[in-house]
Amino acid sequence: MASPPSASPSAVEQALQTIPWFQRLQPSHFASLAQIATLRDAQANEVLFREGDPEDYLYILLTGRVALEINVPGRGRTRLMTAEPLDVIGWSSVTPVVRRRTATAVAVLPSSLIALDAPALLQRCEENPSLGYVVMRRLANVVAQRLLVTRLQLLDMYAHPSKEGCDD
Amino acid sequence: MHSTLATAHPETLLAPLWAEVLDVQPETPGIATLTVRLEDASARACYRFRPGQFNMLSLPGIGEAAISVSSDPDEPERIRHTVRAVGNVSRALMRLQPGDRVGLRGPFGTPWPLDHCRGQDLLIVAGGIGLAPLRPVIYHVLHHRDDFGKVIVLYGARTPKDLLYTAEYDTWRAHDIRILLTVDRADPDWTGTVGVVPMLFYRLRPDPKRTVVFSCGPEIMMRFVVHESMARRIPPERMYLSLERNMKCGQGLCGHCQFGPFFICRDGPVFRFDALAPFFNVEDL
Amino acid sequence: MTEQNLTLGATVALSKPHLNDLLQSLRAHGYQTHGPQVRDGALIYGPITTLDDLPQGYISHQDAGRYRLEHTGHPYYFALTPGPDTWKRYLFPRRRALFHFQHHQGTWETAPPHDPPPRYALLGVRPCELAAIQIQDQVFLRADFTDPYYRGVRENLFIIAVNCLRPGDTCFCASLETGPEAREGYDLLLTELDDVFLVSVGSEIGRQHLQPLPWEPASAFHLNQARRQLDAARQRMGRTLPDPQHLPETLLANLEHPHWDDIAQRCLSCGNCTQVCPTCFCWDVQDEITLAGDRVTRFRVWDSCLSPQLSYLAGGNARPSIRARYRQWLTHKFASWERQFGTLGCVGCGRCITWCPAGIDITVELATLRTQALHAGGV
Repeated sequence: MASPPSASPSAVEQALQTIPWFQRLQPSHFASLAQIATLRDAQANEVLFREGDPEDYLYILLTGRVALEINVPGRGRTRLMTAEPLDVIGWSSVTPVVRRRTATAVAVLPSSLIALDAPALLQRCEENPSLGYVVMRRLANVVAQRLLVTRLQLLDMYAHPSKEGCDD
Repeated sequence: MHSTLATAHPETLLAPLWAEVLDVQPETPGIATLTVRLEDASARACYRFRPGQFNMLSLPGIGEAAISVSSDPDEPERIRHTVRAVGNVSRALMRLQPGDRVGLRGPFGTPWPLDHCRGQDLLIVAGGIGLAPLRPVIYHVLHHRDDFGKVIVLYGARTPKDLLYTAEYDTWRAHDIRILLTVDRADPDWTGTVGVVPMLFYRLRPDPKRTVVFSCGPEIMMRFVVHESMARRIPPERMYLSLERNMKCGQGLCGHCQFGPFFICRDGPVFRFDALAPFFNVEDL
Repeated sequence: MTEQNLTLGATVALSKPHLNDLLQSLRAHGYQTHGPQVRDGALIYGPITTLDDLPQGYISHQDAGRYRLEHTGHPYYFALTPGPDTWKRYLFPRRRALFHFQHHQGTWETAPPHDPPPRYALLGVRPCELAAIQIQDQVFLRADFTDPYYRGVRENLFIIAVNCLRPGDTCFCASLETGPEAREGYDLLLTELDDVFLVSVGSEIGRQHLQPLPWEPASAFHLNQARRQLDAARQRMGRTLPDPQHLPETLLANLEHPHWDDIAQRCLSCGNCTQVCPTCFCWDVQDEITLAGDRVTRFRVWDSCLSPQLSYLAGGNARPSIRARYRQWLTHKFASWERQFGTLGCVGCGRCITWCPAGIDITVELATLRTQALHAGGV
């Protein structure tokens, strides 16, 4: 696992300012999150985290593309979906349920990301319910969108089971 | 609306004219593009189609099928049809050879309303073979680029191998057409987006006062395209969908292609969404 | 014989046997005369020569899913309301060759069908059936697309309509104002009284064929008798359909109403309703190839929206359930039709009620839908 490089607060804050939902935060909430945020770069094919890793960071992609993959025994690593700029990666790190990563995140293109310290984020949400509500609401949107995409992928809507001997 | 061919040749209302197969170009697994030319010189001279229209292609002893025209409307003498093998007729069409004869009736149906889109931003959203009836729109844009503002294509297919017309994307990009691609399932070489077409909307900031959406693809996809468009405040009057139903006559006579009160072959296949809205989410209509 | 001249719109009296002269005159002018007759226990249409071929003396007992003829020996020729057969079979045949593909020197050529459309004279067209023909005119004879066969038959069609004095048990033409009296669209119109036919002139060609026959001006007595019987018939319909003008709105606003599930439990999707309906017009195209493989005929055949094949769509079905297909049929007939053609698609003949093996009665189903929708505060 790559070590998150330290960065000057202003560079991190500038990066956070490019994210729409951060722009809408109260200044105190913004400052609280900026304290636990760092910048992170990844080269193409670099693995951000693996299935089974402890959940340490919540990522927001700034530039590039990151793929989420699951290893299926006998089939190899299967790409489920990609995250595009402004997408959140690793949202389950902020929910109390799962303690280990459920998928592998690998950069497809050279990428830059914000990394939020997940345990610290959870603690700040506990201590400050109004911040916690804003963060969880945002994550609820992320999860809802992912679920919709997953369902549409599951429906396999391009597949046409064609039957022999039928008319067009 | 009158088909240009039927006006000049009224006997073609039921009997097809003959066309010679010039080329059968495999595109993706299960899909090929058939290029034909009408044999009769005067028919060839007066055949014109508008983007979004379709022809009925006929094979004696097998039957007839509705296939969208996917070629350049400025080249009406070489008519291209992108065919997907789903039944007896389409499978037989894909097995044709140059020099074979195929019956043709058309063009039928309502076109994409390009005349109303001058100066607008075009958002072309397609899934799978749904790009075929939209390719004539793109050709029109290539010839008349200054008539439009931003032109963006959102396109997806099941896997990278199923993406249509990939060899043409660079030409389109060269004419200031932005293309965002996605696949439902990746293969090992794919470094592009993996996800569904409606999610591509998250990469855009369309201006709801200037944007017109043209969409064609699986109905589920179009349902969510409508959803994402409306979430970005694009009104139903600025969205156009191309629908599909079982067609036999292509002329609104045989009753097969009805969807609610509409005959898809005659009142469509291109519909403005506000007309469809009361019926679009009714199950099994 | 009278020296007077007939005018359009005139009503005269003709003694019944002289109708045979009319039929003979029509045949002499190249018409094939067809009319009602009893065959296999039901009223059907077929070639007739004289009044003797007509179902004199018969009445029918009809109900949802029930049809029985009874010969009571009464003297009337036109007392029977329609059976399973319709006149649409003449204008829109069950199976018709559109054209042929002929294999010739290694390739296919198209060849038109050989037979020209026949000239028919139809005797005994009920007002509901006349309305059905007029409805089908809107379907097959449009400004943009026209069926050449339908037009060919229609242009030469001689219609002898007959007013309905004894409505059937499943009839509801009065609710839709398509009967029991014919208004226009006929060449001649009969009203059968005890001793004579009253004949009204509806067209110039009707006038020409009637003129030489031994008609008398209709007496006031006869006209009153006809008027009274028609008024009485209007009150004696077997069924009613209340508020038909509201049905399009009700149906389109209630496409997901639970009552459709109720009907779907009973409907067999057999398609009888579409077969016996005089306005249903869905058709399929089928190629038939000879054994030698040198000739293909492309046929147009009747189809039915109750058939799962109709809504088949590349690997799936747009209407996979009976619920969806039945809803399509009824909603097309009473809602979409108005949007497409400007009128309702039903003429109130009641055939679909009589000939439904499950006994589904559309007047009951529509009334139920409307009542429940209104109760729920809707339209």
